[in-house]
Amino acid sequence: MKRLAIALVLAAATTAQAATVGKPAPEFTAPDLQGQPVKLSDYKGKYVVLEWTNPECPYVRRHYNSGNMPALQKELGAKDVVWLAVNSTNQSSGEFKTPQEMAKWMSEKGAAPKATLIDKDSKVGKLYDARTTPHMYVIDPQGRLIYAGAIDDKRWASTEETKKARNHVRAALGEAMAGKPVSVAATSPYGCTVKY
Amino acid sequence: MRFVLLLFLFFTLSATGAPVRTPQIEAELIAERDALVPGEPITVALRLAMIPGWHTYWRNPGDSGEPTRIEWRLPAGFAAGEIEWPVPQRIPVGPLMNFGYEGEVLLLTRLVPPADLVAGRPVTVRARAHWLVCEVHCIPEDVELSLTLPVASRAGPHARWGKPIAAARAQLPVPAPEGWRFDARSEDGGASLAIAPPRGVDLKEAFFLPYEQGKVEPAAPQTLAREGDGYRLALRAAAQPVGPFERASGVLVSPQGPALAIDVPIAARFADLGLVLALALAFAGGLLLNLMPCVLPVLSIKALGFAAAGEAGGSRLKEGLLYSAGVLVSFWLLAALLAALRAGGAQLGWGFQLQSPVAVALLAALFLVLALNLSGLFEFRLSVAGRPAGEFLSGVLAVVIASPCTAPFMGVALGYAVLESGWRAFLVFTALGVGMALPYAALAWFPGWRRHLPRPGAWMLRLKRWLAVPLYATVIWLAWVFAQQVGPAAPAHDASWEPYSAEKVASLAAAGRPSFVDFTAAWCVTCQVNERVVLAREDVLEDFRARGVALLRADWTRRDPEIARALAALGRSGVPAYVLYKPGRPPLVLPELLTRERLLAALDG
Repeated sequence: MKRLAIALVLAAATTAQAATVGKPAPEFTAPDLQGQPVKLSDYKGKYVVLEWTNPECPYVRRHYNSGNMPALQKELGAKDVVWLAVNSTNQSSGEFKTPQEMAKWMSEKGAAPKATLIDKDSKVGKLYDARTTPHMYVIDPQGRLIYAGAIDDKRWASTEETKKARNHVRAALGEAMAGKPVSVAATSPYGCTVKY
Repeated sequence: MRFVLLLFLFFTLSATGAPVRTPQIEAELIAERDALVPGEPITVALRLAMIPGWHTYWRNPGDSGEPTRIEWRLPAGFAAGEIEWPVPQRIPVGPLMNFGYEGEVLLLTRLVPPADLVAGRPVTVRARAHWLVCEVHCIPEDVELSLTLPVASRAGPHARWGKPIAAARAQLPVPAPEGWRFDARSEDGGASLAIAPPRGVDLKEAFFLPYEQGKVEPAAPQTLAREGDGYRLALRAAAQPVGPFERASGVLVSPQGPALAIDVPIAARFADLGLVLALALAFAGGLLLNLMPCVLPVLSIKALGFAAAGEAGGSRLKEGLLYSAGVLVSFWLLAALLAALRAGGAQLGWGFQLQSPVAVALLAALFLVLALNLSGLFEFRLSVAGRPAGEFLSGVLAVVIASPCTAPFMGVALGYAVLESGWRAFLVFTALGVGMALPYAALAWFPGWRRHLPRPGAWMLRLKRWLAVPLYATVIWLAWVFAQQVGPAAPAHDASWEPYSAEKVASLAAAGRPSFVDFTAAWCVTCQVNERVVLAREDVLEDFRARGVALLRADWTRRDPEIARALAALGRSGVPAYVLYKPGRPPLVLPELLTRERLLAALDG
């Protein structure tokens, strides 16, 4: 009887839809910096990278200041990969950035995502169970999640070390585009907590 | 006198490094004693004092964050261990959860100075500490720290930091002391941890802090439920898992007891095995039972009974069905008996009927009668109450004499049946019965098959005499089992094998040594065969020795709840079971039919 109760509690908890590698990525709608709604399904048929970001987080700043993240955005954009940067910082948080502030910061850093989404109610973040900034997700043209986790395998490192780190997003896309299975499909993400 | 006072002051002031202050943290390296003694380990600590509202992180920071890291820059000959982490607090951040420290924390590390260190000049150890300190905002910081200590032949506790460091060490998580038992089992959506505390310990609250990220969901509540004499804690798997969740490895905290460091494998759930697969295995096992040395002699005689009748007997369907009914009903009865006994709380598994000396004695008598019958020394007719009852009883007899033998595949199928319960177990035992009854029933049903049996003749009498031999051997063996069970516990006659205990396996693994456990029983024929044919061989023992594998024997001849629990945790309910425990890996259960090649493949794999 106890065992049944435990099983039910656990089962009920897991029915809450979370983005899980191997399953279809949940659909969402969020406004971009111009206020236009952007839907995940707009990009069906293409590879999509979701990057949870927050300019106030030192880990995000490290990747942008070093040029690491902008370079990856440009490189993948040239391969027709849709990069969506998402800021799920709740509007009640002290770290909230308005669309104008976000646009200014992104342009200062030379960032080149397809779109930057302001998720001020934190809905998309909770839908994807995004926990850190940065937290990366890669979705294939059929809408399936093929990678979720950290941007690379070095939590805190100098610029030179970052260059030598294994970039999981680049690796996952390289393998998927070559028709190979993704060898590292899930890692523990690192960074600051998402400010829900 | 003044000189002594000055010297004393010099010692106490030297035994520190200057604290480094950042806006949120005051950090310094401190030592438990006031001097380094050559060759003697000393506990040093990274002391982090955080301003209110800010926290640093544990080895598993939880949903986000980063564990504090110390990179030592030690003089030649010094060695430093890993951080010994105090029990962290749970720090919720919105819907997420972190594991870390607020206020002040001492991260302990053991330092060992070389034995040839020269007394006289003080020594400075340096470290680069890296941490992430967060409130709402997060700041990663890198700080250079140093600690200078004099070198002396004796050292006392540090005046300021001796007591706090000792107190911190006393509160570190400890491996579970005597009397605590832990088991983990896979559930839908995660796992559950069975906790059996020693008598008198009453847990009202408990929480499991995993060492690794990506296994247990940090923010999920963990419901604690009473179960028998112990408890069960529900662990929800991470919503985005990283790697398989095969071990419950972490710290169990409870206000009612000490913080316990545990590391147990998570036993697979049998629903995963699938009822269909369990049925298939049970059926195959039942078929193979007919070939086991317990059953084959008597069954061959019965089969040859058909040879005597020849094709003229026509379809003996009725006999075949009665025999099958005997087999099935016996299996059902045994299953029901086992279920009833387990419901009553007994830690039993398959083969339980042979753990009783009375049952063994009765079986020995039965085999003796059968053997004497085959030798022609004792006549009795199996069909005592008339033909139909006789066929039914012969089915019952077949199951009774099969019980000492466990066929391949039966182990896993029975494990499923015994640990699942209700209608699933019933179906598995039915499949086992059908498999076992099938060959004889087929022979009875299809006269055409009997065409292939040899023509009757005088050779049949000779064959009966010969087939009596394995039965006599069984009698002798059962008598030996009986002696084992009622006699005093015999001393280990084989020095290579130590008696099994779960603690022994754990302490061997902690020391980095693999161990091989032979779960066996005197009444288990397959066990005895494997032991003599494989495990007692010099070259096999050498294989183990060369790889530093400790050999443990778990003797289940008599009832033993600890062994029963260990088998259950491995997904088995009977013997034999051959398990290889390699440190850091989940236990590997080898097949019931052992060969040297399989052993080597497992050892080197």
